[in-house]
Amino acid sequence: MSDAAAIEVRGLKVHFANRSGAGAVRAVDGIDLTVARGAFHGIVGESGCGKTTLARTIVGLQKESEGTVLIGGRNRAEWLKSDRKSFSREVQFVFQDPLGSMSRRQSVYQTLEEPLQIHRFGSSVERRRRIAELLDLVALPETVLDRLPRSLSGGQRQRVSIARALALKPSILVCDEPLSALDVSIRAQIVNLFTSLQKQLGLTIVIVAHDLAIVREVCSDVTVMYLGRISEAGVTRPLFREPAHPYSQALLSAVPSPDPRIEAGRRRIILAGDPPSPSAPPPGCRFNTRCPVAIDVCRVEEPMLRSVPHGGVAACHLADSGRRPVI
Amino acid sequence: MSDAQPIYSIEDLVIDLYATTVSVRAVDGVSFNVRPGETVAVVGESGSGKTVMTLGPLGLLPEGVTVDMKGSARADGSELLSIGSRQLSDLRGRYFGVIFQDPMSALNPMLKIGPQLARQARRFAGLSHEAARKEAVSLLARSGIPDPEDRYNRYPHEMSGGMLQRAMIALALAARPRVLIADEPTTALDATVQAQILELIRQIQREDGIAVVLITHDIGVVASVADRVIVLYAGQVAEEGTAMDVLTRPVHPYTRGLLASVPDFRADERAATREIPGLPPNQIRLEPGCRFAERCELVEAGCRQHRPPLQTISASTSPHRVACPVVLKREGIAVHV
Amino acid sequence: MNISAIRDIKDWPWLVLLPVIGFVLIGIFAPAIMPYDPSAQDYSATLEGMSWNHWLGTDYLGRDVFSRIVGGARISLVAMVIVLVAALAIGVTIGSFAGYVGGRVELVLISIIDIALALPSLVIALALIGILGTGYWSMITALTLAWWANYARMSRAVVTAELQQPYIEAARVMGAGHLWIFVRHILPHVLALVVVYASADAGALVLAIATLSFLGLGVAPPTPEWGQMLVDGMSYIEEVPRLVVLPGLALTLVVVSFNLLGEAFALQKVPRPVRGATLRRRRRARAREEAERNAVETGTTSA
Ligand SMILES: Nc1ncnc2c1ncn2[C@@H]1O[C@H](COP(=O)(O)OP(=O)(O)OP(=O)(O)O)[C@@H](O)[C@H]1O
Ligand SMILES: Nc1ncnc2c1ncn2[C@@H]1O[C@H](COP(=O)(O)OP(=O)(O)OP(=O)(O)O)[C@@H](O)[C@H]1O
Ligand code: SF4
Ligand SMILES: [Mg+2]
Ligand SMILES: [Mg+2]
Repeated sequence: MSDAAAIEVRGLKVHFANRSGAGAVRAVDGIDLTVARGAFHGIVGESGCGKTTLARTIVGLQKESEGTVLIGGRNRAEWLKSDRKSFSREVQFVFQDPLGSMSRRQSVYQTLEEPLQIHRFGSSVERRRRIAELLDLVALPETVLDRLPRSLSGGQRQRVSIARALALKPSILVCDEPLSALDVSIRAQIVNLFTSLQKQLGLTIVIVAHDLAIVREVCSDVTVMYLGRISEAGVTRPLFREPAHPYSQALLSAVPSPDPRIEAGRRRIILAGDPPSPSAPPPGCRFNTRCPVAIDVCRVEEPMLRSVPHGGVAACHLADSGRRPVI
Repeated sequence: MSDAQPIYSIEDLVIDLYATTVSVRAVDGVSFNVRPGETVAVVGESGSGKTVMTLGPLGLLPEGVTVDMKGSARADGSELLSIGSRQLSDLRGRYFGVIFQDPMSALNPMLKIGPQLARQARRFAGLSHEAARKEAVSLLARSGIPDPEDRYNRYPHEMSGGMLQRAMIALALAARPRVLIADEPTTALDATVQAQILELIRQIQREDGIAVVLITHDIGVVASVADRVIVLYAGQVAEEGTAMDVLTRPVHPYTRGLLASVPDFRADERAATREIPGLPPNQIRLEPGCRFAERCELVEAGCRQHRPPLQTISASTSPHRVACPVVLKREGIAVHV
Repeated sequence: MNISAIRDIKDWPWLVLLPVIGFVLIGIFAPAIMPYDPSAQDYSATLEGMSWNHWLGTDYLGRDVFSRIVGGARISLVAMVIVLVAALAIGVTIGSFAGYVGGRVELVLISIIDIALALPSLVIALALIGILGTGYWSMITALTLAWWANYARMSRAVVTAELQQPYIEAARVMGAGHLWIFVRHILPHVLALVVVYASADAGALVLAIATLSFLGLGVAPPTPEWGQMLVDGMSYIEEVPRLVVLPGLALTLVVVSFNLLGEAFALQKVPRPVRGATLRRRRRARAREEAERNAVETGTTSA
């Protein structure tokens, strides 16, 4: 698996049957994505656009309706079926909700020990040592070890769950908003931790995140999603500097600054209207119902991903390698 | 807005938590208040007591811990720390709206979203069955959830994280409260929806004149919506004042560290964010002196002995107060009496 | 299930537990406690009153009533434990399997469970005894088959609820197999709930065993059994009410105390804040710390 990409997603669709009998919820609706080994890949986009579903499908928590996921060149579905354990030593997942992802009956120690036990890691003394290392990694004091998840603060919980994901020394870490529950100073620590782990161990990290400042800081590449599709992708900094897709532009302009003086005078693009329902995406460009610069063709023809000035790709009729719309 | 009487005020609040294994002094002598139409942001590190401070007086801390509270918390003419649990729960439903940090804990995973909202609206806003249903759908729609009719019949696990968070906001607003306590209301949301939600809260605030207590890690959110800020460290107030004062002229070493660790998306691209070295204190033992001393660059011998008083450095209707005599002395900042 | 649970027993109201423990101990050590062979007849001493020789007197065949009550405790205890363990094993297995596997298998199993639940247990037991014939083992079998469905339904409900929890997915991601997830994460929740109900059911079972024996469908004479003793005593209820009252009392006491035990268990499940002496001690420690801190802070200020 040496030169294969860490993660390759081809034509992925994940649909959920709809309760009221109308069309299925198309949470992920046709995604191609390649994450190179050692990359730090950010996934951003509007709430409900399918980021979590995509991440879950990558690690096999969710079955694909169509398409394939390759991990290090190996078909994920087959790998999971034949050897779940070796797959889990390769790929780990950090959940959005740290509390729910830990058993409420297990102490922190038991929680951290569980993956080691599942993989029959060493004696109990060695496990204890490894757990101490893990606590160090995520900057938690030993005193948390016999506490239950509920009695930890939000930040402490997420650090425990990150420690647990690192326990098996995976080479790919998929994280669903691992930072949302952390406060800023810890965020900085965890982000720095992620980057240093990535450098030390050649870890590949895919991170779903809302904090764009952090994405810009740590992610080498970024994918912007809108309504189950990729709307724009590329190298983070150039993309953030001159986003080609109108949605990305709106998204980036909505990020508030910590400086109230900047906040007072800043221009924001406020998107009109509500996000469309993922069970009935609009015809043509998925963004056309809210796009300030939409033209007639946007309402009938779906734009394909094409090269744009920042070097990445975007799915917008008004953008190509020479120009981009500015709203 | 600042001349109105506070509609919720906390005075010298001390909260001890006794859990099976540890005793924690989560809140250690905090005072603050909010007035109608005002937004007060509470910021501080994880574990600094933000949640306990705001939910404790409302009797909303998780079961399984014994909670001892001293001091005072007044709302609607009642002393929350001494009224009966019946009155408290009535007040909670009618007077306070709470957006919980962990949306899953506030919603019942076994029940559909819509009916949970409708029940809340029926109970506290006194609506009829049909009206409550309509209100619930419209709340879902107002909080920006696409397809509210369909979502009405969905279970919590079938919604995305951001939608749940929005449903939570809808739930908190269902009873039309006077004081909205929002514990990290936008952390699970992307920037565009975050802007929408903050706009929703602002709009309701304008319409109904409610007071908002906003707990958040996101300094950007504070900068864009808060009138005043309280910076909490280890259960004590380190600094407070208007958002403008605290965010643009931070004085307390902790506040400065905190702000330095926030990457500014609008400013130039910078190198790695700075972290505040060291661990937050565990609040299990009560140490004398300044709680930040362990991690402070300016620490002096006296810091570990005197509890630094909150001193006023600019007296307006919302005074800027700082609990660090050392920095005031060093930088020659005058103290108002 | 773990050490802390055992430590918590300290906080239980012992008063509630005492009769249950008494019953169990008496059942276990019955042979050592009984002064006489409970089935030994002594025609020279029929229907005797209470005396030093026969603490609770004798019955119409001259058998020692005290020995018979103690012996009856043992019989009830053994039969009850066998039925409970068997019913729990069957119920938890079928219910958990249904909940875990889901789909069509679950639907079929649920229908079976629901049918079993629709009929009162005792009616099922009676019908089964009608098929199996009377006798000790057929009573045990009948009661087991009448009792399992309840546990099956509860187990399934718990399994279904727990499976939805994200931490189960977390375990999957860590590479855990189904067995691991079931044994480590789901079974404890199932047992925690089911055991509570089982402890309350124990009383009802003792009663059911007595009822069947009373009807002549369970334990056959001359084995000492409380239901049996009630039947025997009925003929003498005018002259020697003791023969009915004593086994009746024993039965009532056991049933009530098991119900209380069930309740105590149910309360255990609710996480309880620290209280009592521990809380007082920790509050004092906190107050002391606070005083020390104030002393340091104010002491040096004035110096
Ligand atoms: N149920 C509990 N049992 C024991 N300790 C608790 C409990 N809840 C909170 N604490 C402790 O009280 C302190 C304050 O916690 P709190 O939840 O208020 O922090 P916070 O500022 O809201 O943090 P976060 O930003 O992570 O949510 C922490 O030290 C925490 O460990
Ligand atoms: N189990 C499910 N059944 C039905 N619909 C689902 C299910 N899980 C997700 N969805 C729907 O799929 C869509 C995408 O959800 P997803 O959780 O992937 O969004 P997201 O991008 O992670 O959003 P957020 O940023 O708010 O977490 C949403 O419309 C959601 O309601
Ligand atoms: S294709 Fe049209 S509607 Fe879509 S983003 Fe571009 S301009 Fe807007
Ligand atoms: Mg998500
Ligand atoms: Mg909190």
